[in-house]
Formats: sequence, C-alpha cells, structure tokens
Amino acid sequence: MFRIKHFVEQSWLLVTASFCFGLLIAVTNAALSPKIKENKDAKLHNLTVDLLPEAKRFVELDAEIEVKLAGGKKEKVKVYKAISEAGECVGWSFNASGQGFADKIEVVVAVDKGFEKIAGFNVLVSSETPGFGDQIKSSYYRDQFAGVPAEKLSLVKTGDPKKIDSEIVSITGATVSSEAVIGIINTFLIQIKEYIQQKGLIGNGK
Amino acid sequence: MANDSNTTTGLYRRTLLAGLWRENPTFRLLIGMCPPLAVTTAVKPALTMGLSVIFVLVCSNLVTSLMRNLLKPHLRIIMFTLNIATFVTICDLYLRAYLPDMSEILGAYVPLIIVNCIIIFRAEVCASKCGPLVSILDAIGTGSGFTIALCILAGIREILATGRFFGIQIMPGGFVPWLAMQMPVGAFVTLGLLLGLINAVTRNKEA
Repeated sequence: MFRIKHFVEQSWLLVTASFCFGLLIAVTNAALSPKIKENKDAKLHNLTVDLLPEAKRFVELDAEIEVKLAGGKKEKVKVYKAISEAGECVGWSFNASGQGFADKIEVVVAVDKGFEKIAGFNVLVSSETPGFGDQIKSSYYRDQFAGVPAEKLSLVKTGDPKKIDSEIVSITGATVSSEAVIGIINTFLIQIKEYIQQKGLIGNGK
Repeated sequence: MANDSNTTTGLYRRTLLAGLWRENPTFRLLIGMCPPLAVTTAVKPALTMGLSVIFVLVCSNLVTSLMRNLLKPHLRIIMFTLNIATFVTICDLYLRAYLPDMSEILGAYVPLIIVNCIIIFRAEVCASKCGPLVSILDAIGTGSGFTIALCILAGIREILATGRFFGIQIMPGGFVPWLAMQMPVGAFVTLGLLLGLINAVTRNKEA
C-alpha cells in the first residue's frame, strides 16, 4: 500500500501532464491534418500537371504496386492515371524515392498513356548540396528526361544534353545525385511498367 | 526615488533585454548552435525558425512557470522535455498546414527544436524559479535575441550566395554569387567572423 502511495505521489504530475499534452497534440493534429493533406495533394497535383499539361484529374489505381528495391527491401507505390477533360487517359504518374547524396530523394515521374515515353520528372523532396546536387531540379537536367523511351536509362559524363535518348548527361560536380535520380527512375519505372502491362491496363482508353 | 534597477519595472526591462545582447544565446553564450549553422542559407527560413523558437520558448516557459511548485527535482528534466516536445509538435503541425514551403525548407530542424538547449536552459534557469510574467518576458527576450542572430547570419549568407535579400535582388547584375556561402563552410566562416567582431567590440567597450 505504501509503495502504491509513493508511486502516485511521485508520478501523478508526469502522468497528468502526459495525458493533457497528448490530448493537446491530438486535438491540434485532428484540426490541421485535413489542411496538411490538402497541401500535400495540391503540391503533387501541381508538379504532375506540370509534366502532363493535358491532365485535369488523377485516378488512383485500386491496388498499390509492390516495387523491389536494392538490398531486397520492398515499397508499395500508388500509381495514378491522368485523365483529360474529355475523359481520356493521357498518361500515368507515380512517386518514386531512393537514397541521394545527402538524404532521401523523392520524385514524381510521369509517362505517356502507352507507357512508351517518359514525360518527365519533378523533385518532391531533396536535401542535396546547394549549387551542386540540387541541380537535379534544374531544367538542364530535367529536360533531358522529357520524351526519352520508358526503359532503362543510363548516365554518361559527357554528351549532348539536348539529344533525347536513354543516355542522360550527368551534372558536373554532382555525379552521385545524378546517378541517384537515374537509379530511382530505373527501379520504379521498369517494375511499374511490367505490372501495368501484365494487368492489361495500357491502351484501354478510359 | 528608488533606483530603476531595483524596481519591478526594472527587473522586467532587464529580463527582456538580457537575451538581446548581454545573454544572447548565439553570439554571447554560444548555445543552441545547430540552427544558426543549418538554417541560415536565406532570411525567410531563418526568420521562420526564429519565430518558431519564440513560440515554443514562450509556451514552454509559461507552462513550466505555472507548474514550478509541483516539480520534483528528479522529474524536472523529463517534465521540461515533455512540455517542450508538445509545443514543438504543435508548431511543426502549424508550419506544415499554413507555411508548407517553409516547413519543407526547414525539414528536420523544426522537430529538432525539442533538443535545442536554449529552451531547456531557460526552463531550468528562469521559468522553474520565476513567475509567469518574468518567464514570458525572458522567453521573448531570449527568443528575439536568437531570431536576430539567425537573421543577421542569414542576411549575410543570402546576399553573398545569391545577391538577394529576403528574396529581393539587391546586388548589381555583374555580381558573381559565392556558392560556398550556401554550404556549411559559409555558415562556419560567417559565424566565426561575427563572433570575432562582437568580441572585439565588447573588449573595446570594457577597456
């Protein structure tokens, strides 16, 4: 009995404060989470529309696709079908992520309706080195992806960045970041393409 | 007539002003040095970080001050941490909801305010010993001193790294940006030079 009384005397403030603070966080989270989700969706929508200008809305595929990553890990990915104003499929988009030079890089990749060509990619999250690695957001690097075949891409150190083919010219001083983006796109694109082809989702119009 | 330094108003004034210069956490006490080095690439994120720290400091000092008579010595650190973590989480949620761009730029540095020693230091030194009003004034003074220090560092780095201040171009067209100022080396060099300058000024004043 003495031990219980001692325990209560010592800990009542901590227990009460934990409950009150937890409640405060829960209420704030409940009030703000719709707005946070709205911001996230708006950002994703804007970045994807930038890559697929004809798209008016995005329809999420019913099933999440499981992508095998390097090192044997697996990640579930949501794939979106981009629908035009006329209701036709104008492309596909999905989020992809992987390790960059400084931290995780997260991108949104868009491909055409037949999954034949990449429409481009936009960076969602990156902490790459300012002036070097963060050039993966620059048009010099990103423009090289628009219109290239949706197959395995490779990185070259020298070449013509305006030539649209599967060879992407690396950013000077940021080879690791350039390689990371290529690796992320290759890993996700090929597996998602296989899944979409297997399920017969390509070319079924609406 | 009583000397101003002995009156209540004098105490409030000294508490408020101490954090701005005499006990400035960044330039004089050299505590909480992670944000001054990490989030001072531009003024906007530095100001957002500074205001976030003021919010957390005011709330944490107020709550600590209100519960100061109930605190048990061996439980006080865990109570401070719990208290600080709550307000940092609320601040992080607000930034993600209403300033998503800033939240993204600041990244993990907002949640890291929890382990910023300025806040736990003020809770231990001031709020756990003083009344709510003094604790709030102390939080505003210390937080403002921290924010001003961040903005000075960020202003210098932003101008030299991009030619802009608060996003507005101020350097002439021919200016060559010093990219190094955006990198960690820029933060260390700028902070080191500022500390040297402040020490020199202080020494001259004292002499």
